[in-house]
Amino acid sequence: MGATGRWMSVTGQPGPTSATGAQALVRRPRATIVIAAYNEAESIAEVVRELIEIYPHVIVVDDGSEDDTAQRARAAGASVLTHLINRGQGAALQTGVSYALARGAEIIVTFDADGQHDVADLPELIAPIERGDAEISLGSRFLSRRERIPLVRRVVLRLAVLFMRVTSRVRLSDAHNGLRAFSRRAASGLDLKLDRMAHASEIVDQVAASGLPYVEVPVRVRYTDYSLKKGQKSTAALRVAFDYLMGRLIR
Amino acid sequence: MNLFQSLVVGLFVVLAVFTVSAGMRGAVRKRIVAFWLSVWLAGSVAVIWPHSTAVIAHALGIGRGADLVLYSSVLVMCVAFFYVYTRFRRLDRQLTLLVRKLAIQNAHDAAGQPNPSSPPSEHQ
Repeated sequence: MGATGRWMSVTGQPGPTSATGAQALVRRPRATIVIAAYNEAESIAEVVRELIEIYPHVIVVDDGSEDDTAQRARAAGASVLTHLINRGQGAALQTGVSYALARGAEIIVTFDADGQHDVADLPELIAPIERGDAEISLGSRFLSRRERIPLVRRVVLRLAVLFMRVTSRVRLSDAHNGLRAFSRRAASGLDLKLDRMAHASEIVDQVAASGLPYVEVPVRVRYTDYSLKKGQKSTAALRVAFDYLMGRLIR
Repeated sequence: MNLFQSLVVGLFVVLAVFTVSAGMRGAVRKRIVAFWLSVWLAGSVAVIWPHSTAVIAHALGIGRGADLVLYSSVLVMCVAFFYVYTRFRRLDRQLTLLVRKLAIQNAHDAAGQPNPSSPPSEHQ
């Protein structure tokens, strides 16, 4: 299982300004957005509304929320799938991706529900796939210099990248960013079995094993009080690593 | 045999009977039946002839028979725990697949596509 994916980096290219980016996304609104949401009533409507203006196909997988995440997402115009029992973010993303494929999606973008991603990053994220340069496009918060990442978070994420280099032999600058785009072909090859947070590493593994060309694209991550509160604690990293290693050990 | 020995060996015999009957009903796999039977048997031997553990312990380079019993029970617990853990993961996985299937089926129903196994249709 060698890492045969071609490594391409778009570092150093500042990319088109947001104005041309906006034009690009008006022209080709054919990406389907998949959002996994668990108790995100506070942020989900805003996230869906921002996306749906440009990308009409937004799928929200309500992962057994106890609040009214599903109703708010539906009211904002998303197609809502409901996990009757909470199964974790990896499980919810796979559900959304499978559904998007069944509905004929050509490009599938995963997007976090807590508002940490920026819709303005999507055109550049999707562009390599539309051009046919890559089948998978992964967002990286470390390729863009503008970032202000909390120190502890930065250290943990760097360690995670090193961990992935050892376990998957894939060189990425940010292996655990929720913003990713897949071509239909690449998405069809996804089969996420790690239901909880270790799916991020699992995606990298499957990308590497598929041998399909991938790129990393600089994206912004907004660390708000809300996203930090809702997101993974840095101390969860060990549990995630354990889950990932056991997943590789036990089939 | 003293009272303690009779009680414990009696318990092991009852457990062995349960194990064999579960195996015959097909509720437990043969490998697992063999595993538990050997545990019950080893336990009985150790209780009836306490010095037998010392003999095996010395052969293995362990000082006392009681230590051998302690170490081997820890090992058995580890194996049993691992087995339960893998089983738990399998169940977890099956539950996810079920929840996913229901979520997608309900979404297809709501979107007016009652048959999810039909060929994928393009977005309108």
